[in-house]
Amino acid sequence: MDFSLPESAQAVQRGVADICSHYDMAYWERCEAGKRWPEEVWEDLAKGGWLGLAVPEEYGGAGQGLLELAVATETLSASGSAGGSAFTYVLTPGFGAMTLARHGTPEQKAALLPGLATGELETCFALTEPDAGSNSLAISTFAREDGSDFVVNGQKIWITGVQRATWMLLVTRTIPAAEARPRTNGMTVFLVNVPEAVAAGQLSYRPIPKMGANTTPSNMVFIDDLRVPATNVLGELHGGATVLWDVLNPERILLGASALGGAEVALRAGVDYAKQREVFGRPIGSNQAIAFPLAQVKAKIELARLMLYKAAWSFDNGLPCGTEANIAKLTASQAAWEAADAAFQTHGGMAYSLEYPVARLLTDARIGKIAPVTEELLLNYLATQVLGLPRSF
Amino acid sequence: MNIVVCVKQVPDTATERKLRSDDKTLDRDAADGVVNELDEYAVEEALRLKEAHGGEVTVLSMGPAKATETIRKALAMGADKAVHLSDDALRGSDALSTSYALAETLKKIGFDLVILGSESTDARTGVLAAMLAERLGTPQLTLANKVEVDGSAIAIQRVTDYGYDKVEASLPAVVSVVEKINEPRYPSFKGIMAAKKKPVETLAIGDAEISADQVGLASAWSEVVDFAAAPPRAAGTVVKDEGDGGVKAAEFLASKKFV
Ligand SMILES: Cc1cc2nc3c(=O)[nH]c(=O)nc-3n(C[C@H](O)[C@H](O)[C@H](O)COP(=O)(O)OP(=O)(O)OC[C@H]3O[C@@H](n4cnc5c(N)ncnc54)[C@H](O)[C@@H]3O)c2cc1C
Repeated sequence: MDFSLPESAQAVQRGVADICSHYDMAYWERCEAGKRWPEEVWEDLAKGGWLGLAVPEEYGGAGQGLLELAVATETLSASGSAGGSAFTYVLTPGFGAMTLARHGTPEQKAALLPGLATGELETCFALTEPDAGSNSLAISTFAREDGSDFVVNGQKIWITGVQRATWMLLVTRTIPAAEARPRTNGMTVFLVNVPEAVAAGQLSYRPIPKMGANTTPSNMVFIDDLRVPATNVLGELHGGATVLWDVLNPERILLGASALGGAEVALRAGVDYAKQREVFGRPIGSNQAIAFPLAQVKAKIELARLMLYKAAWSFDNGLPCGTEANIAKLTASQAAWEAADAAFQTHGGMAYSLEYPVARLLTDARIGKIAPVTEELLLNYLATQVLGLPRSF
Repeated sequence: MNIVVCVKQVPDTATERKLRSDDKTLDRDAADGVVNELDEYAVEEALRLKEAHGGEVTVLSMGPAKATETIRKALAMGADKAVHLSDDALRGSDALSTSYALAETLKKIGFDLVILGSESTDARTGVLAAMLAERLGTPQLTLANKVEVDGSAIAIQRVTDYGYDKVEASLPAVVSVVEKINEPRYPSFKGIMAAKKKPVETLAIGDAEISADQVGLASAWSEVVDFAAAPPRAAGTVVKDEGDGGVKAAEFLASKKFV
């Protein structure tokens, strides 16, 4: 067995770290405090071709897979952006480019992939609804066939990045949940041109004030008689679940990678402070009560990383990766949260001061236990699908 | 056009840099090595000239084995090949002997144009371009914020306190660049992958006919006799403006002999 990263992933590590080295923690603090998209980093990533990492070469990308994308996300996050801001990278190169490359028609690919590779086009992903979060098959946003078009009505919530998105991957029902047999049937994913839909008054959105991850706003989205041509169906009509699985597994892996990066940032902050801060005449890190939680976090980060890379590798090799992706997401998010908490405790009162990054890291790490899938749902999956325990719901 | 860019690996300015206690030279193992920032501008300029006029860009770096990382970065940006001058005998070389070693290597590999960053962030002598030109018997066009080549003619804008001088010469020549000259590109994924396959020729001093008694710490013209950590910064002086702030500030500056 060979545990070394392939050369391609090492190249990604080096290339993305090179760009990130021009942006320090203070830069990310400013973006977060100013609720500002990290435009400069985005542009640098675009210039270096890093946004097109997973876009096939014939469409102007680097033709790499999920492992490379995960390593890029982790590197960006670990450089200081942490989980909240690594979202900037996941939305387009991840949700958009990877999904289109796998499920787009030749026309859709030709129209979108080159732009996604350069960053000229951006995407967002709209699944969650006010009444369907964890239970995503219960969504009620409905697309009715009307000639060569579909007319969509419904409401979405928490949709991140609508403001910048040129295209939305909109998940709908074309057979109501109650009538669908099996329940996964009758889902359809559409490519929606956001600026056009907004201009036509068929789509509107309102940002949700949130406690962190403010570099990318998350929104309520209202869909009102939205007309989408049938040529904009991504994947099969009624067969959207297949597309969905191919979004959800990479999403878990990529957000797991971003959590892992966040864990690294927090651990670094904690360790640095533990070495410098002297209380009772010695560095606080010499107390095992401070050192052990940090050491524990180190172990958890390394374990989560192994599973994360395995999950990404499985996906890239066409192997089943659901269990791996779920375990990776679960453990990476837990590592991020525990790292932030340990760093927080290590900083004593200064943790509460916004002059230190720990408060941001803690806030950031907390989302990982909720989005894009909650810890409970991941455990449910392991309990029922892997261990064969009876379903509770 | 055959362009050679001199690139140096320096300790990352963001990490703690220190001198070795035994021979008082820079401890290159203690800090992360990065490409000297100004050299990235030199590489970029070389690549732009090549893109405009054709030819080949060769990276030349003198440094320990670890400097290959730096060479790879320049190759990842787009340079075609590299020469790595690496020999234990070179350790501790000062600017004079470095210029000698590089000049001998340049004579061996050949060039139309040599481009350097105007200084390195570690030693900051800023004299290497001039020394190289002297040793190679070529014109020196230093502190350029613009370079134009037309056939065998070369012209630069040399940055000065008052604006710029226009300096013209003919190739072969040595140019040093300042950071205003361009915006260095980031290595792309393809660039990084391609760099692995580009040829890097490693030369020991014998290969470049560099004589051991003209390089290294022993033949350096300057010597670090002693060093000490910078003292912690003392508390500053606060001048409170009670109508006479300007006078007080001026008096303070005068007392420190700034004005
Ligand atoms: C910052 C942020 C960004 C987001 N971005 C996007 C986006 O871009 N696109 C998008 O579509 N969505 C997005 N989401 C939504 C996210 O995916 C959902 O919030 C998440 O899936 C949880 O759904 P919910 O909020 O409806 O929680 P609910 O489903 O209401 O769950 C509430 C609680 O009940 C628990 N629970 C529910 N059922 C069970 C059960 N059977 N067993 C045990 N526990 C259970 C859950 O685990 C959770 O703790 C985002 C969310 C956040 C916070």
